[in-house]
Amino acid sequence: MLLTLILLPIAAAFLILFSSKYIQYFLSVAVLASGSYYSILLFTSAENVSFYLSSFFNTVIIAADIVLLLYFLYQGKKYNSLKVIVLAAVQLLLFLYIEHVSAGHSAQVVVDGITKFTIEYDTSSGHSAEIAVDELSRFMFLIINIVGGIIVLYSVRYMEDETATPRKKQLFIAAMFLFLSVMNTLVCANSLMLFFFLFEMTTLASYLLIAFRNDEVSRTNALRALWMNQIGGVVILLGVLVAVLGFGTVMFDTLLQHSGGVLFLSVALLSMAALVKGASIPFDGWLLGAMVAPTPVSAMLHSATMVKIAPYLILKLAPALGATLLGGVLSITGGLVFVTASYLALSRFVFKEILGYSTVALLGLMMALAAIGTKESMMLAMVLMGFHALSKALLFLAAGVLEKQYHLKSIEEMSALVHRAPKTVGYILLGFVSLTLPPFGLFMGKLFAITSVASLLRERPLLLIVLVSMIIGSALLVLLYFKVSSALLSNPSDTLSAEEERIPYGFSLPLILLSVLIVGTGAGFIVIQHDALLALLALPLIFVFVLPWIMRGMERYDRTEPYHCGEKEPFDTALIYYEPTIRVKQMIYWSFTLLFAAVAVVGALS
Amino acid sequence: MKFFTSFRKKSPWILHYNAGSCNGCDIEILAALGPKFDLERFGVINTGNPKQSDIFLVTGPVTYRSRERLVELYSQIPEPKVVIAVGSCTTTGGVFRGMYNVEDGIDQYIPVDVYVPGCASTPQLIIDAIVKALEILENKSKEIEKPFKLFGSVETIGNKLSRLNMAKRVKHD
Amino acid sequence: MIWIWIAFAPILGGLVYGGERVLRARMQRRQGPPFLQPFYDMFKLLDKRTLIVHAPHALLAVAHFFALWFSVAAIFLGWNLLYIVFLHLFAQIVLILAGYSVRSAYSHLGANRELLMLVAYEPILILVAVGFYLVSGSFDIAQIVRGGGYLAQMPLLFIALLMIVPIKVKKSPFDVGEAHQEIVGGVEIEYSGMFYEFLYMARFLEYIFIYSFVFIFAGVSYALGAALVAGVFLLVNLVDNATARVHTMHMVKIIYAVAMSLAIANILWIVL
Repeated sequence: MLLTLILLPIAAAFLILFSSKYIQYFLSVAVLASGSYYSILLFTSAENVSFYLSSFFNTVIIAADIVLLLYFLYQGKKYNSLKVIVLAAVQLLLFLYIEHVSAGHSAQVVVDGITKFTIEYDTSSGHSAEIAVDELSRFMFLIINIVGGIIVLYSVRYMEDETATPRKKQLFIAAMFLFLSVMNTLVCANSLMLFFFLFEMTTLASYLLIAFRNDEVSRTNALRALWMNQIGGVVILLGVLVAVLGFGTVMFDTLLQHSGGVLFLSVALLSMAALVKGASIPFDGWLLGAMVAPTPVSAMLHSATMVKIAPYLILKLAPALGATLLGGVLSITGGLVFVTASYLALSRFVFKEILGYSTVALLGLMMALAAIGTKESMMLAMVLMGFHALSKALLFLAAGVLEKQYHLKSIEEMSALVHRAPKTVGYILLGFVSLTLPPFGLFMGKLFAITSVASLLRERPLLLIVLVSMIIGSALLVLLYFKVSSALLSNPSDTLSAEEERIPYGFSLPLILLSVLIVGTGAGFIVIQHDALLALLALPLIFVFVLPWIMRGMERYDRTEPYHCGEKEPFDTALIYYEPTIRVKQMIYWSFTLLFAAVAVVGALS
Repeated sequence: MKFFTSFRKKSPWILHYNAGSCNGCDIEILAALGPKFDLERFGVINTGNPKQSDIFLVTGPVTYRSRERLVELYSQIPEPKVVIAVGSCTTTGGVFRGMYNVEDGIDQYIPVDVYVPGCASTPQLIIDAIVKALEILENKSKEIEKPFKLFGSVETIGNKLSRLNMAKRVKHD
Repeated sequence: MIWIWIAFAPILGGLVYGGERVLRARMQRRQGPPFLQPFYDMFKLLDKRTLIVHAPHALLAVAHFFALWFSVAAIFLGWNLLYIVFLHLFAQIVLILAGYSVRSAYSHLGANRELLMLVAYEPILILVAVGFYLVSGSFDIAQIVRGGGYLAQMPLLFIALLMIVPIKVKKSPFDVGEAHQEIVGGVEIEYSGMFYEFLYMARFLEYIFIYSFVFIFAGVSYALGAALVAGVFLLVNLVDNATARVHTMHMVKIIYAVAMSLAIANILWIVL
């Protein structure tokens, strides 16, 4: 089953290159169906599987890794980016050194002529499998294959309206498929080297897909995404190096069984990679820049699946974090990112950038919860990941519809959109509501998170920072989403006629699927809580269903103009934005850079 | 229903509009609302919003430019409603009567129920007028009342009664 | 018994509102309206012809009222405080969406301000709930009112709550959401007749909602609770008569700078 998940998208990607439009639809539906089926099957089977890779595969991966890094080097040189070149070179050196150390089975660290310690690199006894499927990976499979599959289906229709050669469109869809496969492998990688390779593959995918439109802006933003993510690669390699030197292992599970020593340094370095991938401030620039990519890319890579590596990685490392200072620092960083990114989003007017910033914010929240490291908070981080993937995918896909059907990108142009595009606005509103209000899953996650953190306050007072930032951040996100909806919603009287909106099936099917999933999973989540009171939180929703019924009785009331102080010409209010001054902004970035460095320092000291 | 109708006079909410007055009468209206005369003891609230008002309190002789607003505000007040013309200008045009830019009283445009004389009118008179208006209000029906001039249309669009164009839109050059 | 309380909650709120109008009039040395004035207003509104802009806008007001009633009912039933705060959030968002759903400048301005008010008071309410949880060991009101000594343990949280009461009952200095002289009532502006009545009654429920938070600070002693509510009621009206409205952003800043710090300090004090 696992192999199907990994190989099927690759096969589909290969076939897509030779197929016409209809076969593309067929293929994507097939992959979505079988991917969802197998991932659900895996999820319910609840057994942990592991695979050993043959040495041939390992060699192939090493070779591929070197090729990849050389490609980065080449791209850096081609587009004259010093940062990319330097970072690629550093990675290459580190990578070769680690391979040298680990392949040599043992290495001696010699300081001042005295052998400080000798490292035994065990290959035979107690060597754990390179690929291991645990509960976390099974959950990630669900997100990747279901949400990812839906997005690929959407991208087939999306590409029809794109101005590019047919070959390039095919390549685009093929890349999306390949990406599914990469993600599927990544979440079950137990070997750090394999993880690094796949991490770099996602960086590559991100780089290529951002640059898809190949204009000046895309190119710059793609390069920025590249070098920022390369920092992630460098810290992973450093983390691996520390792990190899300290414990002689490149496996997640063996590393986490150890305690003391340089474990925390290694874990800290790896979690710094998570902060980079999750576009936490100060690395938020790359995710925002990535919004110039075609919308399916933003939906898939930059919100629903790829950036989820960040909380995934922290969750993976959480057993070592627990109640340590390092865990505390990480969760505080996550919490502060949640508040700050929500705040910074208030100054944006491009719809996708707003979504991007709120993704950064929510990733911060998930990382904070994951880093707290109790069983409950980790579960909640996973829950948030799932619901966030669904809601954000829905929002991005709806944004794509607006872009393709109405040529709208900025919320400034969207005033009275509900009059022109009631259905799309309905999807967007569902997305907003599902991110903030009861009884939807994401809200429930936040609610339980508050309860869970509050219950830990007595033992770990530091978590008060996380709690407060969680509360304020949620309030700011409410402000953000509904501030945006102010632009969409303002509707003239319903006696004025409007044109009917038609969303093509290729767009509406994924949107409907996601909406059904959001409502269904939200309801399911409430049911499994076995809390009758909680189910009652859904009661206010009844109005939504009753509304259309009452609507018919509303015809007897007179329709009138809104009040304009007696004027006949209507006037509108401007949208509101809240922006920090440049000084404050700089301060924010500097403090987060310090916090980022502090993670490493705390790791080294503890 | 009879039961609810009896409460009309216990909660009159007013909308005050200055159709070009010299502010003399407006000050008196504010005085009537203030602590000394305390109109609120009759349940009066100065809402400032036509959609929630029962009594339309107009001051001023209706200048040429204000007539559209007058009619628009009038048609946004839901029935039953009464109109009180406060002050000499509002009832007849007063000292401005016959001027090129003045319309000689609001009853050229909308039906007036109570006229209050005086330049400026006094708070006592205004309170009297409101009490008088409440008697009229109680006996009014809920039929749509139309302005005399600048009346556009009240039409039914798909089973819904639209008052959107009740006040006519005047083209300006 | 409890269901009777819930059923009559809007009426109870109406009495509070009527009493408040008389009290405010007396503070200004006026006679003021009759005590039952809010109910006269309600009956009159039923007798008016109803004008609406469009159907969803009007119905959202009804939804707001019932959602608010539901959250008040949850208080009487002794539910989890956090759920109650979020049910209330739901009701508020419904109102805000209603405000945004018409093309009316004042309605939009009002909804913007309602949002900012939400951002200001929501965190404080949650922190108060967390304070109760830390002291009593439970988020459930039924559990909380069985304990006592909250005032001694969370005095700063009580002050923080006091600061947000004027926001909720729309009193100076924080009556930005309504601001009749400025934005003509904000989100309420496009409502009339029947549907305005629902918003009018929703205001009564807001009174019950926020004063219940004051009430549970007394814990098991209902007499102390009543005294607290009466004291806060007097204080809020006194402040209302004595201060001017502040700017919306100032309100948010004041709440975040003062009330938030007080709340955090109090929680730290409980925890450490």
